[in-house]
Amino acid sequence: MSVCIAGLGWATPLGSGVPEVWTRLLAGEEAAVAQISDIVSDVSYPAFRVPESALSNLPRHPRLRRASAISRFAAAAGLAALEQARSTIGKIDMQRVALIFAISNGGVIYTKRFYHDIVATGAQSASPLLFPETVFNAPASHLAAIVGSEGASYTLVGDGAVGILAVKMAEDLLASDALDYCLVVGAEEADWLLCDAYHRWRMARPTPPIEPFHSSAKGMILSEGAGAILIGRSGQVKIEQTHAGGNYAGRRQARELVGRVVKELATPDLQLAVASANGTFVDSLEASAFSQFVPDATIYTVKPALGESVGASAVWQIIVAAEALRTQQLPPLLHVGAEVKRDAAKLQSALVSSCGLNQQVAGMRLSI
Amino acid sequence: MSTFTDQNGKTTSSRVAVVAAGLISPLGSGLNDNREALAEAKDCVTEVERFRVDHCRCKTAGQVPEKYLPAVNGRSRDRIHRASRMMIGALDQALAQDRQFKPEVAVIGTTSGGMSFGEDYYRALHRHGDLRPSPAWIANYPPQKPVIEALQKFQLDIASQVIANACASGTNAIGHAFECIRSGRYERVLTGGYDAISELVFVGFDSLQASTPEKCRPFDRQRTGMVLGEGAAILALENLERARARGANVLAEITGYGISTDNHHLTQPNPSGVGPRAAMSQALRSANIEPAAVDYINAHGTATIFNDAAEGKAIAELFGRKVPVSSTKSMMGHSLGAAGAIEAVFCILALQQQLLPPNIHHRSSDEDVDLNIVANAARSAKIDIALSNSFGFGGTNASIVIERYRE
Repeated sequence: MSVCIAGLGWATPLGSGVPEVWTRLLAGEEAAVAQISDIVSDVSYPAFRVPESALSNLPRHPRLRRASAISRFAAAAGLAALEQARSTIGKIDMQRVALIFAISNGGVIYTKRFYHDIVATGAQSASPLLFPETVFNAPASHLAAIVGSEGASYTLVGDGAVGILAVKMAEDLLASDALDYCLVVGAEEADWLLCDAYHRWRMARPTPPIEPFHSSAKGMILSEGAGAILIGRSGQVKIEQTHAGGNYAGRRQARELVGRVVKELATPDLQLAVASANGTFVDSLEASAFSQFVPDATIYTVKPALGESVGASAVWQIIVAAEALRTQQLPPLLHVGAEVKRDAAKLQSALVSSCGLNQQVAGMRLSI
Repeated sequence: MSTFTDQNGKTTSSRVAVVAAGLISPLGSGLNDNREALAEAKDCVTEVERFRVDHCRCKTAGQVPEKYLPAVNGRSRDRIHRASRMMIGALDQALAQDRQFKPEVAVIGTTSGGMSFGEDYYRALHRHGDLRPSPAWIANYPPQKPVIEALQKFQLDIASQVIANACASGTNAIGHAFECIRSGRYERVLTGGYDAISELVFVGFDSLQASTPEKCRPFDRQRTGMVLGEGAAILALENLERARARGANVLAEITGYGISTDNHHLTQPNPSGVGPRAAMSQALRSANIEPAAVDYINAHGTATIFNDAAEGKAIAELFGRKVPVSSTKSMMGHSLGAAGAIEAVFCILALQQQLLPPNIHHRSSDEDVDLNIVANAARSAKIDIALSNSFGFGGTNASIVIERYRE
C-alpha cells in the first residue's frame, strides 16, 4: 500500500498558505525576528513569530475565541490543507479522516501563565479557563470541532522529528479501510520561556541569522507556526518510505542513527535532501550522512528563512520537499556556512531528514 | 469490523496476544502486589506530600511510594525523573517475564511527561534562584524522555511514538499498538502509559473543581469528584501465531479497539454519552462481539458528576444494567496517561483470577446512573471478556476489548 500527499497547508512567520510562503522562499526572503521579553527577567530573546495577518482567514468559530496561539496556527494550516485537497478531489467525508497532531512544547504560553499564577500568588489564583488549554491535545480537539470530525484523533509528542513519526502513524492507520485520509498537523508556539530554556541548554543563539552547516555550531532561533499534510492513497507526490528511526543517547549515537536513517532511505536517483540543519550539532551529523550516502543530492534547509519550529519543523520540511518536487524549483539556501551541492537537476525523489534536539531521529523519502 | 491491508497489499487480520505486562501503581509494584490489592479492595489514596496543597480543595492523591521505584545512583538522581523511574520499573518487570520479546516499536501514552522538572525550572526563574541545574531540567522535561530513558536502559534500539491524548492516552496507545499488529504491519509492539503527579496538573484539576476534598466515589449518588493518581504500565503485544510458535506465555488477547471524538466541549462530555457510546460500539464491532458477550467493564469512572453521568448512560444504553462495572480509580486515583494502561492490566488480572475488581467508597447508587456496580469488595465471577474505557479532555474517547486466552 502506498500513501500520497493530497493537500498541504502552512502558517509560518513568512505568511500563510503554501503558494504565498513558497513564492517568498523562492525569492530568497527570510522572516524577520522579534524580540521576546518576560516579567521574570530583563533578558530578551529573538524569535520568529507568525504575523496576525497570516491568520486572517481563520473562521469565527467559538472554539478559537480563547484558544492558544498554537491552536490557531494548527487550525489555519489544517483548514488550508483540506481546502487545497478539496479543490482537486472534491468532497471529503471528515468521519473518514483521522487527525494526527505532532507537537513538542504545546500550549506553553498558557501553561506558563497558569503556573505563574500558582507560583506568584498561590493555587487559589490558578485560572480554570487556562488549564484546559495547557493540555497537549487541545489544538487537535479544537480542529476536530471546527471541521466536525468525530473519529480518530491522536496527538503525538516528541522533538523535531515528531512530524515524521506522525506521518508514520498515518501510514499505519491508512492500512484500515475505515479511513480515507489522515490529516497530519505539526504545530508549535514560541514563548520567552522556551527561548530561555533553549539558550540555557546552549542550543539557541542570541542574534540572527541561523547559519546552517558552519564549522562551529552557533545555535538556532526558535520559531512558531504550523504545517499540515493531508495524506491519502492518491496524490501528485508519493510518500515512498517513512523511517521511524530511533532514539539517541549522545552525539556519537546520534551520528550513527542519522547515518543509518539516511543510508536506509537513500536511492541512486535521489536528487534532493531536505535537512533539519538549524545551526546546532545536528548540522554536522546530517552533512556527514549526506556526503557519505547521498553524495550527489542537493542539500537544502528552510530553517534560516523560517526558524526552528520544533514540533512543526519536520512537517515544514516535508512541505518544502513536496513543493520542490511539484514545482521543480528550490529556494536559495541562506547563510550557509559550507559549500553544499546546489545544482538542482530534474527533481524526482527527495529525502527528508530529521534529527531532533531531544534524542529522536527519523526520515522519509518522497517522489513525484 | 475494519479490514486491514498489509505492506504487500494483502488483506489481513492477525490475532494479538499480550505476552508480558509490568505495572507500578499506588497499589503496588508488579502483578502480584496489584492483584492482592485489588482482591483486598485497598484504598491507596493518601495526603499529597510532594508539593503544597494548602490552597487546594483536594489534598489527596494516589501516590507511588518511593520503595516501589527502581533505585538511581547519586549523579543520576537529579536527572532521572520519577516518571522515568516508573517506566523503567514497569518495563523491567515486563521484560523479565519474556526475555525473548524484541519489540519493533514502542507506542506509549502520557499527559505531562516530566512536568515537575519544568516546575522546578520556572520556580527557580521566578525567585531568581539557582539555575545551574536548568539544562538537566530542560533536557529531561519532555514527555518522550521517560520512554526513551526506559528503552535505553534495556538496550531497546527502537523508535517511540508517544501519544498525548489526555486521559485516554494509555488506552489509545494500546489500541493503536493492537491495530499495528492486527493489520500485519508489525509483529511485536511495546505499549502502555505513564504519568507522575505534578503540581501544575494537580492544581489544574482543582481549579476546575473536578477533584474532590472527599473520597473518590465513582458512580455514587453523592460523588463529588476525582482524585489524581500516578503510575506506569507496560504491555508486550505480539502477533498471536508468532507468540505461540516461540512458546510465549499468553496472558490475554486484545481483540477490539474503538476511538471517537466528542466535540461538545474541551473538558466536558456531551451529556447524551454519545462519545463514550461510539467508542464502546466501535470496540465491540472491532472485536466482532455483541454487548451481551462482555462480562466486565472497567469504567473510566472518574467520579466527576459529568463523566460518570455520560459514561453511565452510554453503558446502560449499550449493555443494560446486568454487566458488572467498576472504576478502580476509587482505589488509586486517576493516573491520567497511565490510567488506560494500568486498567488494561487490571482487566487481565481480572480475567486470570476470575475476580471482579472493586469500586470502593460506594454508598448509594445514582438513579440516573443505573449500573451493576461491583461495590466495595472484589467478587468472583466468570469473566471471559472485559472492556476498558478511557475518556479525556479534548473529547477523546477510547475503549479496548480484552479476552481470556483460550487455545
